[in-house]
Amino acid sequence: MIKTRTWIIIIAVIAAVAAAAAIAVRFFLPAGTTAEIVKDGKVLYRIDLDRVTEEYKIEIGDEDGDRNTVTVRPGMIAVTAADCPDKICVAAGWASGERPYPIVCMPHRLTVRITSGDAGADAEAR
Amino acid sequence: MDTYMSVRTYGTDAGDQVKAEAARLETLFSVTDKDSEISALNRDGEVKASADTLKLVGESLRISRATGGALDVTVYPAVRAWGFTTGENRVPSKEELAKITEKIGYEGVRIEKGTIRIPKGAGVDLGAVAKGYLSDRAAAILKENGVSSALIDLGGNIGALGSRPDGSPWRIAVRDPAGDGSVGTVEASDLFVVTSGGYERYFNDASGRRIWHIIDPATASPADSGLLSATVVGKSGTTADGLSTAVFVMGEERAVGLWRETRDFEMILVTSGGEIVITDGLKDAFTREEDSGYTLRIVS
Repeated sequence: MIKTRTWIIIIAVIAAVAAAAAIAVRFFLPAGTTAEIVKDGKVLYRIDLDRVTEEYKIEIGDEDGDRNTVTVRPGMIAVTAADCPDKICVAAGWASGERPYPIVCMPHRLTVRITSGDAGADAEAR
Repeated sequence: MDTYMSVRTYGTDAGDQVKAEAARLETLFSVTDKDSEISALNRDGEVKASADTLKLVGESLRISRATGGALDVTVYPAVRAWGFTTGENRVPSKEELAKITEKIGYEGVRIEKGTIRIPKGAGVDLGAVAKGYLSDRAAAILKENGVSSALIDLGGNIGALGSRPDGSPWRIAVRDPAGDGSVGTVEASDLFVVTSGGYERYFNDASGRRIWHIIDPATASPADSGLLSATVVGKSGTTADGLSTAVFVMGEERAVGLWRETRDFEMILVTSGGEIVITDGLKDAFTREEDSGYTLRIVS
């Protein structure tokens, strides 16, 4: 049978390893990726995409009846449905820290933009 | 211009002047604004045009001649028939398309003493060149203001003025037309990088076939040349914009032929066969994205 003292040491070691791991994760993860949902120039939502654990949707509507569905997933964000005529916003796909280019719905004056992250490129031709 | 505009400059507020210029050009070129010069031309068959409209229509005709009509600003009746300006997408019948094809033809556009004329039933849409023209104007305004380093992003239509503030070239990712990432990155200084692709604006017909907004003037139907996207790199924003559409319509063989003849632009083609085809002049400037799944081929 293992003595109480030994248990305490084992638990202390596990705790120390866990703490070190937590610190390591903090240091080695890339800088947090934040997304902003902007309508008519006003920031409606600011979302830390690295803290998102499961998918959820945000419905953005206005008094003109304009509708956009924004889907948030761990590390990424997209406009997944819209009732605008051209649906360029939906075709733009997912924005993320690696692909931090703005998604825009001109007819509804809506922008989803990534405010941090590193693409390795300055802009995207598309 | 129906697009998102971002101008990043360092140490100046010339960006505001660029925005004002964008708004001014929109009032001249827009096909959806009833009061624009282009709307007047489409309605009346002629318009006494401003210097900017004359210049841009003239440039478009020059690109049309150089590309054997692969770029043609008179595709507007076709763009309208497929519903790309109204948002009410539809598939026109064969008979309707045959009639529309007869109305398309840049040769019918006449510019005389400041007046532009088009034949009855014809229509002009500058959508394939307007953003390029604005990026040229933006670059000129920034330079006049002493800006030596700027990145102009007009909805993915990129103008790289000078180099990055640290002196290295700007790095422009080229979107993967079949996915969410990029096919690679091209380094650019004092160059315009413009991509045309079927993924930008499209709808699916009843059978699920993707109908995209880039129209082949010869058929009045979506271009089907074996390319998923065409990126043109060049010294003029207007030319790069117009050529990217033309190259997408022409397909690899004709486009490479044009490049060999002129050598005044470079290009990155993404083919439906899973290849990235780049012209020789980009072999040092272009880096393929390792995990993009495409193979790289250089033509010379």
